[in-house]
Amino acid sequence: MSMFKRKSKERVYTRYSTAGGGVSRWKETVEKLMTPEGRPEVLKDVLILDASSANFSGIIAASLFAEFGAEVIKIEPAEGDPCRKMTPFGTHVNGTGIPFIMEGRNKKYMTLDLENSPDDREIFAKLAQKASVVIETYPAGLMDSWGIGYRQLSVQNPGLIYIAVTAYGQYTEKAKNFVNFPDTDITTQTGSGLSAQIGDLPTEPEPYNWPLKAGMWMGWYISGISAALGGMMAIIHRRKTGEGQIIDIAGMDAYSSMTGFPATIGFTWEKSRPRIGVLDFILYPYGHWKCKDGLVAIAAPRDHDFRALLKILGRWDLEDDFKYTPDRIPDIIDMAMELHREIEKETMKYTADELTAKALTYAMKAAKSKWRGGGVPIVMRVMSPENTMQNKQWEIRKSFKKIEDERIGKFMITSGFVKMTESPPQVKWVAVEIGKDNEYVKSKYL
Amino acid sequence: MQDYFSYMEQLFDPSKVNEKPEVLKGIRVLDFTHVIFGPTASRVLANYGAEVIKLELPFYGDLWRPATYWGRYWKHSNPIWHFVTQNKYFVSVDLKRAEAKDLIYRLAEVSDIVLENFAPGTAEAWGVGYSKISEVNPEIIYLSCSTYGQYGPMRYFPGWDLLAQAASGVLSLNGFDGTDKYFKLPDYLGDFVPGNLGALVLLMALYYKNETGKGQYLDLSQTDSMMRVLPHFTFQSLTGESLGRTGHTDPSMMAASMFKTKDEKFLGLACATKKHFEGLCKAMGKEELLSDARFSDYMEALKPENAADLRKIVADWISSMDCDEIVNLAQEKGFAAAEVMDDKQICYDQWRRERGSVILFKDEMYGELALAGPSARLSKTPGRTKWLARPLGYHNRFILKKILGLSEQDLNDLQKKKVIGTYDDKPGLKPPIYYDLDKDAIFNYGRGVVK
Repeated sequence: MSMFKRKSKERVYTRYSTAGGGVSRWKETVEKLMTPEGRPEVLKDVLILDASSANFSGIIAASLFAEFGAEVIKIEPAEGDPCRKMTPFGTHVNGTGIPFIMEGRNKKYMTLDLENSPDDREIFAKLAQKASVVIETYPAGLMDSWGIGYRQLSVQNPGLIYIAVTAYGQYTEKAKNFVNFPDTDITTQTGSGLSAQIGDLPTEPEPYNWPLKAGMWMGWYISGISAALGGMMAIIHRRKTGEGQIIDIAGMDAYSSMTGFPATIGFTWEKSRPRIGVLDFILYPYGHWKCKDGLVAIAAPRDHDFRALLKILGRWDLEDDFKYTPDRIPDIIDMAMELHREIEKETMKYTADELTAKALTYAMKAAKSKWRGGGVPIVMRVMSPENTMQNKQWEIRKSFKKIEDERIGKFMITSGFVKMTESPPQVKWVAVEIGKDNEYVKSKYL
Repeated sequence: MQDYFSYMEQLFDPSKVNEKPEVLKGIRVLDFTHVIFGPTASRVLANYGAEVIKLELPFYGDLWRPATYWGRYWKHSNPIWHFVTQNKYFVSVDLKRAEAKDLIYRLAEVSDIVLENFAPGTAEAWGVGYSKISEVNPEIIYLSCSTYGQYGPMRYFPGWDLLAQAASGVLSLNGFDGTDKYFKLPDYLGDFVPGNLGALVLLMALYYKNETGKGQYLDLSQTDSMMRVLPHFTFQSLTGESLGRTGHTDPSMMAASMFKTKDEKFLGLACATKKHFEGLCKAMGKEELLSDARFSDYMEALKPENAADLRKIVADWISSMDCDEIVNLAQEKGFAAAEVMDDKQICYDQWRRERGSVILFKDEMYGELALAGPSARLSKTPGRTKWLARPLGYHNRFILKKILGLSEQDLNDLQKKKVIGTYDDKPGLKPPIYYDLDKDAIFNYGRGVVK
């Protein structure tokens, strides 16, 4: 394999490595990782009905299951899930938006009008008897009022796993009072604590000092991942006991429950953190700086990493004032910005490639040195998604897949976010056509 | 029929959580990981009942132990580390020593999962990589977490969450178009998101092992993980254009943006459907907008010029209203609008306390601490918190005696040779000053100390 031939020339920036070593079992392992095609699928016998509506969290959870081989049937009315229309600047291919295409991984499509047709609800209930998992995002209790909620479906199918995603969940007074409140990405970002921490300093002019929106669906992806994770726990429990259950995801939990920071810091500090712009409140230097030709990310947070960075930048004079982590993360923003600006003076003298080369050369020397305090200052060009797509690393790792679909066209999609030797996730196809699999589903399951 | 919400209240009753079964009970996890990425994956497993044995270097411990917000400790511990390390067993061994490796191999023999997040190559070079561990235990599930992955030209390139954000494109997407300012995602999301995906893929491997009896090796890169959440690649390859930075707005939904209210609060608002938009128009008293050609078709309304017009109309309305008024109208008329919640609001929010999204956990060593509840609520096998972080090496006796059958004498010998160890005086590593470890039954396991 070509990567092993090149290995002798490979640059090693860490103290220990397998480069040049003859770990034969390791070679075998990597070769398996590199050839995911045609390997077994984890969830090949698992049928999942995705009835989510106007909410991508459900679609994302369904996609994650589908990548691991589950048979995922997207249920939507004839006019399609409103999610099809949620797309940046209204950009679409034959009426379907980009995010819906991107999450159309290994999916099948069936039309059922759950909102208006009692007959279709009956068909859904029949399908749910054969399903392992149902995913839905309607207001809490709405499916129940239609006779196809967890309460009813679990009578026929006690092993059913029912995943419900809403803004405020399936229980508590607030969930009841806010039952019509839709769950969207931006309200999940604001309501679960993400927005409070991202954006420029309070001293900057409006509106730049407002809370910022993360430039991707961070709230919905967190909810979707949480739904899949909870679902997988339930699938394992079901395999052991035959017992199903209901899983309740509240969008307003997304960020706070994933990081845990807001709850604990609100409690121990008895204050709320301000937005600190490009600074960091635990590690420093840990951020990004302007350079001659763009932007570099720099991480040199441990004391020995910081010393190394100062050597690279020729600024040993700063060492005395900023020796230890607490010196570099003062809660007085002006003081913290001082070091930030001093570093920027130096980064502006170089291109991103020059700085990266300096840091790597240093890291390589430090890794070989017997002296353990060498540090690993890390510098990297901040890449746009276009840069990322051209990066050789992801080509070799098959992290993008080129899809050709006669209706959608040719496009790239992220694929195989994890590499596994036995049962890796795969994107087998991408499909979005409404009602494409009506006949298939009827003949196979009804 | 019983009211839906009281029926659900019964199924999820937070006071009954500890009586319910744990889905991963009996699953043993040997955890070499440190900081956030790997430890988050194992924390999720520990929440659901797995026995996670966290291995740390004596007298140093996990890098994250002393790293707290603005250097603030809480009872000599890092307050935010408790969440990431809850329910774990803290064993401190110097894994570079031969005797330590022997202990590790013996533990690996009786474990189901091993995970590590050293720089790629390190675990293999130290003889605790998959090559060696799978010899000891061929059915092992072994997860390596790294920034760029275990193979490919960048594999030895060092990394953190920040570098994953930079390499995936994520960092370049937060900010305002046309400015020279960019913002990283806060709070190490480039670790937490991949960490949760790490737990997910371990469950996949566990399920596969249950079906086939086969273990396997998993290579999870945090950059790959962050790339998974971006539609930008597909957008770019279909349109030839770059999405760029979109500031306060969500360009994929109607009226979606941050807004400032009359009472100087901030909120996010969005209409996911035309019906939600109708609700917004009713709330604004501007139903004429429904027949406005610019906004009559959902995707047409997302075109930049139309979207800007609509945001301007909504911004004007919101600036004349208080935040609470808008949030209540949102519920009443059926569109989404939610205030920007900060740490204190989240910590003391009544809904979160009732739901169990924020719990006031009572720990035997540390007393009361507010912790976030699990991201997913499971009705029959819920996740739970059993104990907080513990000092370095706290479970040495408990684990080594109970699982490997070592004697007190063996432990003393190992300690003398510095194969195992505990903490020195550094905050983040040691117990709270008021706590008497000599009287602790777990720390002194097998020494006749009774609670």
